[in-house]
Amino acid sequence: MSHLVLDGLTKRFGSFTAVEAMDLSVERGEFVSLLGPSGCGKTTTLQMIAGFVPVDSGTIRLDGSDLGPVAPNRRGLGIVFQSYALFPHMTVAENIAFGLEMRDVPRAERDARTRAAMELVGLKGFADRYPRRMSGGQQQRVALARALVIRPALLLLDEPLSNLDAKLREEMQGELRQIQRSVGTTTILVTHDQHEAMALSDRIVLMNQGRIEQIGAPDAVYDRPASAFVASFLGKTNVLRGTADGRGAVAIGDLVLALAGAGSGPVQLAVRPERLVLAEQGLGARITSRVFQGTHWLLGAESAAGPVMLMRANDGLPVPKEGEAVHLRFAPADAALLPGGVSA
Amino acid sequence: MRRNGPAALVFHALFVLFMLAPLLIVCIVAFTPEGYLSLPTRGPSLRWFRAILNYPEFVRAFWDSLWLAALSSTVAILLAVPAALAIARYRFPGREAMTTLFMSPLMVPHVVLGIAFLRFFTQIGISGTFTGLVLSHIIVVIPFALRLVLAASYGIDRRIEHAAISLGADTATVFRRVTLPLILPGVVSGWLLAAINSFDEVTMTVFIASPATVTLPVRMFLYIQDNIDPLIAAVSACLIVMTALLLLALDRLFGLDRLFVGSGKG
Repeated sequence: MSHLVLDGLTKRFGSFTAVEAMDLSVERGEFVSLLGPSGCGKTTTLQMIAGFVPVDSGTIRLDGSDLGPVAPNRRGLGIVFQSYALFPHMTVAENIAFGLEMRDVPRAERDARTRAAMELVGLKGFADRYPRRMSGGQQQRVALARALVIRPALLLLDEPLSNLDAKLREEMQGELRQIQRSVGTTTILVTHDQHEAMALSDRIVLMNQGRIEQIGAPDAVYDRPASAFVASFLGKTNVLRGTADGRGAVAIGDLVLALAGAGSGPVQLAVRPERLVLAEQGLGARITSRVFQGTHWLLGAESAAGPVMLMRANDGLPVPKEGEAVHLRFAPADAALLPGGVSA
Repeated sequence: MRRNGPAALVFHALFVLFMLAPLLIVCIVAFTPEGYLSLPTRGPSLRWFRAILNYPEFVRAFWDSLWLAALSSTVAILLAVPAALAIARYRFPGREAMTTLFMSPLMVPHVVLGIAFLRFFTQIGISGTFTGLVLSHIIVVIPFALRLVLAASYGIDRRIEHAAISLGADTATVFRRVTLPLILPGVVSGWLLAAINSFDEVTMTVFIASPATVTLPVRMFLYIQDNIDPLIAAVSACLIVMTALLLLALDRLFGLDRLFVGSGKG
């Protein structure tokens, strides 16, 4: 049985549906990200799990028991907020020990567990500091230690890293992942940052307008987007127009590929820029721009199937210049068929 | 940090001097050995300070005023805290009306309030009592208490309270351990401002006070109607020194910039 189960979870604010009939199962120890643009319902979902926002319909079950009637302070969940939400009038040690104090953990054990939590997040020696005397990254660690020290059934992270600068964020991502692995707490992360979601999660739940667009491992969702929204939200993508002949072949300009399930008539294919390669023959295109990005070149081109972007590794071989005519191809496995009627 | 130009410095200095001069002059006059308000005066003398002790009604009025200020400001702050928290965080019908009602004593002239309370207290039979005095002062100082607690309440990040709840704290514990400490600067400054306003309220109190319940400002007011001598300056000087000491103590405890400006490093 799954650890956390959301079943038909729905929340409306007036006439606005924030979350609609959301179903999700999370296994014990799993790290799941709710990813989507702002207003997609990811934070509302997290707040319903935490109990701060009442559920309109549907259920939240943790280890089989309904969380609905449980007051937020009895749910035993660890939450880390974007703003850290540390108690400004308490020291680091007092902040971390707060949850243990609420649970009437005896003094000696409380101290030991607080110390262990501080060590876990690398804050040894900061016990008597006040939060305002600490950097954003350090405050984030305090918030994480405070949430973990109560050994929560679930760890809920609400955009925990978005207030940090880029370099620190990357560092904290690695550390967060490593800490979560070592503690083994089931974790739900809410984020609008696709890189964060991909770097940290076992599975990504892509949300848009209150609905789940796709659930899957980061590489699976990235490689095989289920919709044009997913394809365009996760990384860069090319949407190519083609025509299926009804016998399993699709023509994209001069390039003909065998694609099962294409049906017949016009189709749209999503292809990642890094999977489009220069070739002797194939889809004819003219290079319109080229931008050097260190490890690779980003080339823009105008093709018979629409404008495309492609990546060319900086491997020392010549790179086509602006205005040059080229041919492009890609493997059938690298193309995702998008449901019709979409333009991107 | 940008520095002020010489013209600005002169202006600021003159402004501060203008504000402090009356206090300073009262203090100097209080030390006169003469029988009348004189400035400049010959040598310092404690004659008028000793004279205060010959007027026990001043000392009694002082204690009455102090007690009145403490009581009315404490009740006012007890009412202001829940009101401010409700106004700051919820949208409910009557919210605007409630805020305006609580702030309205600021808008009504104290003379009007004095006459109104006099009539009303006579009607309900508590005219001339200390209870009546306390009730009227509570109403007059509530706006000060509410304003400052409200300012502090608006500044609270609700997620800090959510964090406490998620860690297992119930409503009462969240208030005691998190909310109250966070709004404490507002509560202390609101209480202090309310107490000061109650302590020196005279326009309204003059109507309500009876011979049994005369506050210090009213006593002083009555005294200078009969005779103007340096005794009143000596009483004023004592009040100025006491206020200064109180502010100094609060500054040591909380930091005045934090209490009244609300920023500061805390």
